[in-house]
Amino acid sequence: MVLVAAAVGLVVVPLVELLAETAEAGAALDAGTGGAVGGSLLVSTAATLVAVVVGTAGALITERGPRPAVLRVAFVVPLVVPPFVSAVAAARAFGSGGLTDDLVGIAVPGLVGPVGIVLVMAVHAAPLVYLLVAASLATRARPEFEAAGLASGASPRRVLGRITLPLLGPAVVGGGALAFAVSMNSFGIPAVLGIPAGFPTITTRIYGDLARSASDEAFGRVLLLSVALVGIVLVAVVAAERMGRRATAVVPGAAAREPLPRTPPGRRGRGFLWVYLGVTTGVPLLALLATALTRAVGLAPWPGNWTLANFSEAWSGPAWPAATRSLALAALAASVLSVFGLAAAVGARRSRWSGPVTAATFAVPGSALAVAVLLAYGPWLRDTLLLVLIAYLAKFWALAHRSIDGSAASLEQEAVRAARAAGAGRWRTLRRIVLPSLLPAAAAGWLLVFLFGIHELTMSSLLYGPGTETLAVHTLNVQQLGDVTVTSALAVLLTVPGLVAAVVVARRHRRAS
Amino acid sequence: MTPAVSLAGVEVRLGGATVLDGVDLAVGHGEVVCLLGPSGSGKTTLLSAVAGFVGVETGTIDVAGVRVSGGGRYVPPERRNVGFVFQSYALWPHLGALDTVAFPLEAAGTPRAEARRRAATILERLGIGDLGDRRPAELSGGQQQRVGLARALASEPDVFLLDEPTAHLDPAARAAAEELVAAHRAASGAAALVATHDAAEALGLADRVALLRDGRIVQVGSPTDVYDRPVDAWAAALTGPVSVLTVDMRDGAIVLGDAVLPVRGAGDGRSRVALRPEWAALGGPARGRVVSLRFRGPHTDVVLDTPAGRVLLRVREAAIPAPGDVVGWRPERVWPLGTAGPLPE
Repeated sequence: MVLVAAAVGLVVVPLVELLAETAEAGAALDAGTGGAVGGSLLVSTAATLVAVVVGTAGALITERGPRPAVLRVAFVVPLVVPPFVSAVAAARAFGSGGLTDDLVGIAVPGLVGPVGIVLVMAVHAAPLVYLLVAASLATRARPEFEAAGLASGASPRRVLGRITLPLLGPAVVGGGALAFAVSMNSFGIPAVLGIPAGFPTITTRIYGDLARSASDEAFGRVLLLSVALVGIVLVAVVAAERMGRRATAVVPGAAAREPLPRTPPGRRGRGFLWVYLGVTTGVPLLALLATALTRAVGLAPWPGNWTLANFSEAWSGPAWPAATRSLALAALAASVLSVFGLAAAVGARRSRWSGPVTAATFAVPGSALAVAVLLAYGPWLRDTLLLVLIAYLAKFWALAHRSIDGSAASLEQEAVRAARAAGAGRWRTLRRIVLPSLLPAAAAGWLLVFLFGIHELTMSSLLYGPGTETLAVHTLNVQQLGDVTVTSALAVLLTVPGLVAAVVVARRHRRAS
Repeated sequence: MTPAVSLAGVEVRLGGATVLDGVDLAVGHGEVVCLLGPSGSGKTTLLSAVAGFVGVETGTIDVAGVRVSGGGRYVPPERRNVGFVFQSYALWPHLGALDTVAFPLEAAGTPRAEARRRAATILERLGIGDLGDRRPAELSGGQQQRVGLARALASEPDVFLLDEPTAHLDPAARAAAEELVAAHRAASGAAALVATHDAAEALGLADRVALLRDGRIVQVGSPTDVYDRPVDAWAAALTGPVSVLTVDMRDGAIVLGDAVLPVRGAGDGRSRVALRPEWAALGGPARGRVVSLRFRGPHTDVVLDTPAGRVLLRVREAAIPAPGDVVGWRPERVWPLGTAGPLPE
């Protein structure tokens, strides 16, 4: 009951408020808002197409090759880099005046503008497609289906087209929907690469109208754009869900006792993948680090020009309190949601709807959610950290819940029954059997929410007021003022927790397996 | 005449471990060879090596006289003419039975309509002609197994490779499947290599049985060969119920306590011997104490404690002793075992 109330208070009430206010304001699509909607649709669709191709190919190459562990980790690294940082890093690596421009005189044309937005969005969305497709390659498009195709005399190309790809269909569609939603909701990337080029998107337009303008007319546009964003994303997610449900079931019972051994495929694909990962993740992060370490823009990024002054300058002023706020908010949100998630997993009967509904809350765009929370709770909580915390809780609920709920679902009913049959009471069973088996998932959920909390920019940038600036918001403000070296230093600092967490998780994972 | 499949000195390494170690085996045309071994002995790997799912480290594999692995050659699976029946059936979840069976025909270049027509004939022959539109999720285990078999039949292979074809079936479906495999293999005249861990299945199905232990073949022979004349205690236990006794033998007779019994197969000196349950009977000069009784329906398993070791007997009579009774028994036949080889578990 408490959980239902929490869900209603966090998500439902604000969204209803948003709809009501929008209806009341009665703003209509004009050229400006229409352009923003069109811009968002354009870059998100393009980024989704690229991400689907890259993520699917990456999963096929990685999962069907030898020792996939290293490539797996490399492929999901972009997920632990804040999107906003990726955009800054891409500009530092391949933009005019960036690393490749300095070294060999090559810059990607239109990097600041729609081309760059699409590329960086695609790099960020591809790991999501990859994760879904890789999971499907293990459980649905199983290796023995491919072996059966080959043994039937079909060429590898025919097996890919007739067997593997059709089986991966639902995962590819699901991954595409996720990539589209994440791209539509993205604010950090178009903020860095779109605003300077005058390229409009929904999220940057909401930011511009809400944070930089105070007119009623602007607020009407904000409401309309928020509703449009929610509508577009939900339609995409629901449509993908329906397409996925039509997919045929895979017989689970008849798994091979001994997995079929197989000779791994060629090396060319893996080579391509490493080059892709190097260009899209390695080089930009190095360029970012080089900029952060170099005394001034325009100097060559060699050790002779290195300094730590950018970091000490970045750390002076409001950055330190902002970082403290970021850490506190992220830790608090992670802790509250982990407890919620555990309580939900233990207490509630799982219904058919709980999964899709929580997933939907994650799909609700941060921009719209922030506007909705502002409408619902702004009158009392404006300019407080509590307002930001409410937005975090609403947005990240699904991350903690999904993680813990998945673990609870895999804890067999029989394990609980066995404990009861062994004479353990309800409380002892909970304490000795259920909670210990849920704790790893709860810890994973905590870490996930914490990282997303540290990285969060979209909602924080709309909700912050005097004294409630987070580190990400502070970095955005410095970036918008145009201080490249200090922005880079802050971006590096913002990236460190995610990379550390990724390394720790990867090492634990390797030890466990 | 060249054999349908021949392996010479085949070694396969997977993930740093040697899974097959110097395997020599030939399967003649129209011959069924069963690979019998416990799980982890390399049966599936051997089939995978013949199919081309794994390459060989050393040694060679020929299919229908063509070198497919070894000596610098590696022919990919799709260009070896083999039919594989998978342990998990590996039926494609998105295809109906008819499309599944038509797949190898289409891959070989048969036009779609013709491929489907021929697939329908094969399904008909296997008694599942009415299940053409069903996807695997809508089929029972036995039906899935038939579709998997039909798919292998469709490509008219030089050799059938069957990996534990009945492992997932209930006893009734299992008997039907064994019948089916035997009938269709005989009709097609192709060779078959069947991996199984079930001794009764191997003995009933095979022209020859190869016993596999830790990636090596320890014995090859006809079913009666490997059952009646196992090379060691391990092979004896793998091929069926057996008692291993340590006895003194003299001039074709076994000394059991005071009794000296002439027994078929007995030699000279002290040795371990294999005694199948049906090679001995209750009633006789040798003594044993009944340890346990288990009613099995057609017969009752009786375990005796004797000075030479525990003896398993199968008794059909109505007059069955009770545990603790001291009874007489007599061996009619034994098979002396070499001292080599590990003891059965």
